[in-house]
Amino acid sequence: MSIKVGLDFGTSNSGIAVYDGHRVTILPIDGQNVQPEVVKTLLYITRDYQAYIGQEAVELYYRDNVNRQRRFVKQWAGEIDYHGADMHYVRDIYVYVDELKPGRLLQYIKTALRKEGYRGTQIFERYYTVGDLAQTYLRLLKNRAEGILGEKIEAATLGRPVKFAESPENDRKAEDTLRQAAYEAGFKQVDFELEPIAAALDYEQTLAKPQNVVIFDFGGGTLDIAVMRLGGGERKVYASGGVDVAGSDFDRAIIQKRMLAHFGLGKIQHQPEILEMIQAVPDWMALPELATPLNRNTLDKAIRAGLAPARLKALQTLIYNDLAFTFYNRVEAAKIALSDSGATVISLDDKGVALWELYTRHQFENDIFDYISKVEKVLFDTLSSAGLEPGQVDAVVKTGGSSNIPLFSSLLGRIFGAKKVKQSDAFSSVVAGLAIRAGM
Amino acid sequence: MTLPDKIDEWIKEAETRPASALTIMRLVANRMRELNERNEELLAENIALQDGSRVQDYQKRIVHLEYQLEMLKRRLGGDPGLSALESLTEETETANILVYNVRGQVLRLEAGQASGRLGRIRDELAFNGEWPRVLSVSEQDELLLLFTSGRIGTCPVAEVPLSEPGSEWKWAEASLPNEPHAGELLACIMPLSNMPLSDYFLQTSRRGCVKKTMTSLSETILSKNYLGKGTIQKADQAFDALLCQKNDRHAILTYEGRLLGLDVESLPYSAEERIRLTASDYVVASFVLPQEASLLCLTQTGKVVQREASILELAKSPLARGQALISPARLEQGTRFVGAVPVRDGERIAVLDADGNLNLYEARTVAGAGTLEARALALSIGVVPAPAAQANQTTNKS
Repeated sequence: MSIKVGLDFGTSNSGIAVYDGHRVTILPIDGQNVQPEVVKTLLYITRDYQAYIGQEAVELYYRDNVNRQRRFVKQWAGEIDYHGADMHYVRDIYVYVDELKPGRLLQYIKTALRKEGYRGTQIFERYYTVGDLAQTYLRLLKNRAEGILGEKIEAATLGRPVKFAESPENDRKAEDTLRQAAYEAGFKQVDFELEPIAAALDYEQTLAKPQNVVIFDFGGGTLDIAVMRLGGGERKVYASGGVDVAGSDFDRAIIQKRMLAHFGLGKIQHQPEILEMIQAVPDWMALPELATPLNRNTLDKAIRAGLAPARLKALQTLIYNDLAFTFYNRVEAAKIALSDSGATVISLDDKGVALWELYTRHQFENDIFDYISKVEKVLFDTLSSAGLEPGQVDAVVKTGGSSNIPLFSSLLGRIFGAKKVKQSDAFSSVVAGLAIRAGM
Repeated sequence: MTLPDKIDEWIKEAETRPASALTIMRLVANRMRELNERNEELLAENIALQDGSRVQDYQKRIVHLEYQLEMLKRRLGGDPGLSALESLTEETETANILVYNVRGQVLRLEAGQASGRLGRIRDELAFNGEWPRVLSVSEQDELLLLFTSGRIGTCPVAEVPLSEPGSEWKWAEASLPNEPHAGELLACIMPLSNMPLSDYFLQTSRRGCVKKTMTSLSETILSKNYLGKGTIQKADQAFDALLCQKNDRHAILTYEGRLLGLDVESLPYSAEERIRLTASDYVVASFVLPQEASLLCLTQTGKVVQREASILELAKSPLARGQALISPARLEQGTRFVGAVPVRDGERIAVLDADGNLNLYEARTVAGAGTLEARALALSIGVVPAPAAQANQTTNKS
């Protein structure tokens, strides 16, 4: 017997749920996670092409990579043809490859689906397209769910953002890639539902009479909004909208505005190679790629020359000890802490780096202030497409991790009235709704 | 952004949300405490640099390393080129098992890759109430033989002739690399290859006396052929010696099932009794227990008791009783330990039984089964490292 599940393939977190017609069960996919129903959308691929997801991936990454040894070998990468007016010659190209690198950790696979011009990545000797990465992740997720259910899963309803990308062509391409990846992962039947609508289906279960509802799904990768009529047997989508602003943008904003000074920004003026390394800090996945002997030499020379030595040593440690992921997680944790507290500390203490930054909610709100207008605009645009005034809305349902940020809660309260703003489960309402849709 | 600007922003937060003021003060106070501690450490380091003691430390280490390099050169027969060092790494892949008795007789066997019976000693096993001991070493290693008088001798493993595997052996055929002098017995054999990377020699006596000696003194120790007995009482005798680092955890296991964990750093340089033993109890195993290994204890009937390394509690008092691994009921029934070894994944154990049979077992299967298929009482146990671990093996025996 095969069953159909709801599968939330999120930017930061994913999950699988089943609906038996009465009750939604969210599967404890990641037993190692603090919240087993939520599995981090992280993929770790080892040198022998074994793949791991979720907390297991994180732990393996930490175990095998942090403060590990490196050995760079020169490897032939290809050749370049030079064509001049009266000459032509071919030159070999070599790259330095870290032959002790045990594996690669990948995040934001969903964002990669909609990234224009991004086709895939080389992992050791194999090339993985974006579809291959998504397929690998979905296959492991499916295997875990089958292990829990003890049954074969052949069909799934996957969530998708309202807009994968601004252009309809890229949007369709992203959905097609995800659909193909799901088929290759072993699902025989795949359909899609918009994530905010899925979140609405979960909310609908609590309604006794019809309401005009705004779903505000603010996750790790995108903000998705749906304006709907729900409850009492009615279910109508008035309008939906979205914008690619979300949690990862805020993390990046914090790093760019507050943390880069700890790695030499402002002190380093005329060393473009070093500035380039500093500017790469917000992108933790790109950072390990900078760990080349050439860059180490550049940093060593600058440190010896007394050029912001403590800060450049911190940068060197961040790059060469594979601490970028840890650092990024600390920043994300600080952002989450500021939802409840007025101040927190972002710190990283390791050999060669002693970083400490007291960060307040006031500072955070200043740092992400530019995004407020974008969010406000898409909210009013969607309401206007639905033909509703804020006063005609009965409830606003928040879901997704970023919806807990007080700045956005107060924005919703200001527009619709604080009493109308309801919080659904930040991580499970979408997957629950997808399961209901799958069971319909 | 300068610090005054940051402070202004913290004040703004406190003005916007007065509840944040307390959090900010707490976080700043914690940071000040941390910085104060760090400042003290830096001041101490500064003093050490200024008064020259840090320089002296480094000079001592340089002298020690130079000596180790000299030893390595001698071992390789000249200046070690890169190719010689590479060949040394490859050579260390071969594991040998040594079986030796207190009379200094040593049998050497190749461990091979398979488990099963290696052969049998068809001769008397006990001398002076001491059973033969089992030890695994690399073929290229150098051995240090410690006698009960405190005297030491050295001998390369390769100089001990190989015995035929699968056959029956007699002590008369065994090698006698360094014959005990009148009135002394061979206490133990330890491999020396890790000495350049180790901080201390660590000795344990049968009655639980422990003593450490800095490996930086190895030149004197080896030239004078004397390490010391490591005992206090006359009735006591040297039991074991091993090499360790200062951050290691030393474990002692006794016949009646007491396990004692000791922090190497805090151990004395002169022999001190560290475990309180009953009159009938004595030490049967002494080893360094790494965090990633698990502890495998063997009873005389072949039962295997496996414990995670985390079980080992470091003794807080200078004379402790240790943790009991055998329950009082089992003790009453006569269960006793004959030895213990720390094992990692993929390692094998060698066990000698009272019939003289020497068998190899996969540690993983033995730990899972909980018992050995021994036909006679077990006498001794040793661990055979997995091939990859042999280059930096630490050997154990009991």
